[in-house]
Amino acid sequence: MNVGVAHSEPNPNTSYFNSRGIWLTYVIVVVILHYVCLSLPFLTVGMAWTLTSLLHNLIMFVILHLEKGTPFETSDQGRSRFLTAWEQIDSGTQFSASRKFLTVVPIVLFFLASFYTKYDPYHFVVNTVSLLSVLLPKLPMFHGVRIFGINKY
Amino acid sequence: MFNFLHMCGLAAEATLSTTASWDLYETIQALFQAPSYHLVFEAALILWIVGLLFTKSYSSKVNKLTLTDKEKADLVEEWQPEPLVPNVPEDDPELINIRTRIVDSKLGKYVTLNGQKCLNMASLNFLAMVGKEVIEEEAVKSLKKYGVGACGPRGFYGTVDVHLEEEEKLAQFMGTEEAIVYSYGFATIASAIPAYSKRGDIIFCDEGVCFAIQKGIQASRSKVKMFRHNDTADLERLLTLHAEEERKDVKKARVTRKFLIVEGLYVNYGDICPLPKLMELKWKYKLRLFMDESISFGTLGKTGRGVTEHFNVPIDDVDFISASLENALGSFGGFGCGKSYVIDHQRLSGLGYCFSASTPPMLSQAAIVALDLLKNTPDMVDRLHANSAYLHEKLSRVPGLRVVGDTVSPVLHLQLAESDRKRASAMATLRCIVQMAEEEGVALVVASYLEKDERHLPPPSIRLAVNCDLDEKEMDRVVEVIDHACLASSNS
Repeated sequence: MNVGVAHSEPNPNTSYFNSRGIWLTYVIVVVILHYVCLSLPFLTVGMAWTLTSLLHNLIMFVILHLEKGTPFETSDQGRSRFLTAWEQIDSGTQFSASRKFLTVVPIVLFFLASFYTKYDPYHFVVNTVSLLSVLLPKLPMFHGVRIFGINKY
Repeated sequence: MFNFLHMCGLAAEATLSTTASWDLYETIQALFQAPSYHLVFEAALILWIVGLLFTKSYSSKVNKLTLTDKEKADLVEEWQPEPLVPNVPEDDPELINIRTRIVDSKLGKYVTLNGQKCLNMASLNFLAMVGKEVIEEEAVKSLKKYGVGACGPRGFYGTVDVHLEEEEKLAQFMGTEEAIVYSYGFATIASAIPAYSKRGDIIFCDEGVCFAIQKGIQASRSKVKMFRHNDTADLERLLTLHAEEERKDVKKARVTRKFLIVEGLYVNYGDICPLPKLMELKWKYKLRLFMDESISFGTLGKTGRGVTEHFNVPIDDVDFISASLENALGSFGGFGCGKSYVIDHQRLSGLGYCFSASTPPMLSQAAIVALDLLKNTPDMVDRLHANSAYLHEKLSRVPGLRVVGDTVSPVLHLQLAESDRKRASAMATLRCIVQMAEEEGVALVVASYLEKDERHLPPPSIRLAVNCDLDEKEMDRVVEVIDHACLASSNS
């Protein structure tokens, strides 16, 4: 996707993660999210990290793995109507740079949350569940798979 | 190691003397007391990241076709280049038509065809708007005021006040909330259908629809189910079959839009769609009804408002109506009308609206004047109905020919009475009739189709267009000429 000029993609959802500066922007947004969590009163640093990781994974799950189709009218007569945003990235190419980046971010957040929560078992359970909820749908074998037909249409 | 970190922590505490650094020290200490399951899990994640770094990307298309070198060579060997221009034989009748039937006058009631004055029964000029002086004068005035046109699409410096006036007047005339004007009649319905019907949707369509609708449903990429021409029983059969499928997969049905696409008056058959029955099915099976009124607009109903007026059906019950301004109004372009909620969608999604230069203002002006004429002189429509019925009645008595279409329809199709003839031979006979009629001063035309591209090729016929200005003498002459030509061609 080009910056500052009109894009020429039939479906911009496939390419926006290749735009210039989007990875940096992504990291900055996550850092801001973390500072917002840190600034909440009565929360310890560990709690703030778990909250950051939870919120990040929740938003990621909804935006990438739950929402289907495109928010705009595409010129391909709705080819990706029933594909999640994750499945549309790079037109379905597995292990592309954007996909690798999006896989690593929640893992790094998990490490940080584990570290700052002093490897507390309760935090471990919460963080692991939220991590797996965004990691498993990213596996190539789950591409286009709808278990029990949930979220199929 | 442990002592070193401890020292670091103490040093940090000493220099910064903040609680944060003390927390950090304690946290780092926790790392060394971390439970083993946690460390194992983290190690696995690290391994995964390392693995990711070394994984090559690949396309996820499952059924990727892989060809061996031999198969590739075979395919290359087999390939035959197609000519850029198809090889049409020099004696192809359509080619001869283009080269030898030349008009050098306005396509009014009379035309000069190959230098001979002929009564024009071929142009779809139902209300005799072509060549009307009032319209021409207004169009020239508009040309002097606005120039030829903006050469820009409506949304991009192409809109002139005349376009807005045209849309308003059309909406007012049809009695709908809003109308949208396209610059090309064919593109109107061909753009409107794919603007709403997408992949995964389903279209129920009459087999007899015109080429523009066929292109529209093709561009929509939807699933298409064709029912037999004007056969509501066949449509209902398809609908009940589909309803059963829906019951099996309710979730899918909930996101599938269903369309029913018909023509008001079929240009290829000259008959009217059974609208009341279609409305019944529309409500029963929850369909979105699109109707193309390219022929019926200006010709059907008491005041020319089309099929809805003809059957006395409230126009708001039809979801979308499109019509060409190129037939009854004798101008250029087309329009769609319906609820604002429906029409407005096309202003950003109708490809023919978004990406095509707007109509030259003078042609819009011509359409406005023609529409005013139609509104102020409704007897034009009455005369057209009378003429259609008269011609229909007279022509049906001509031996050797069969008149197809409703008596009220201004488009008549004359087919050969013997229906078992081969297409080529029937076409040859019809062309012969047309040729003889031309010599007698009546311009006719054989209905021509892109035979390879039509979904359901209509039978060969002569397409006759009725004009409201024809008088009985002229019509009798037409019938007489056709009668003679028919007799002569059957004898030869």
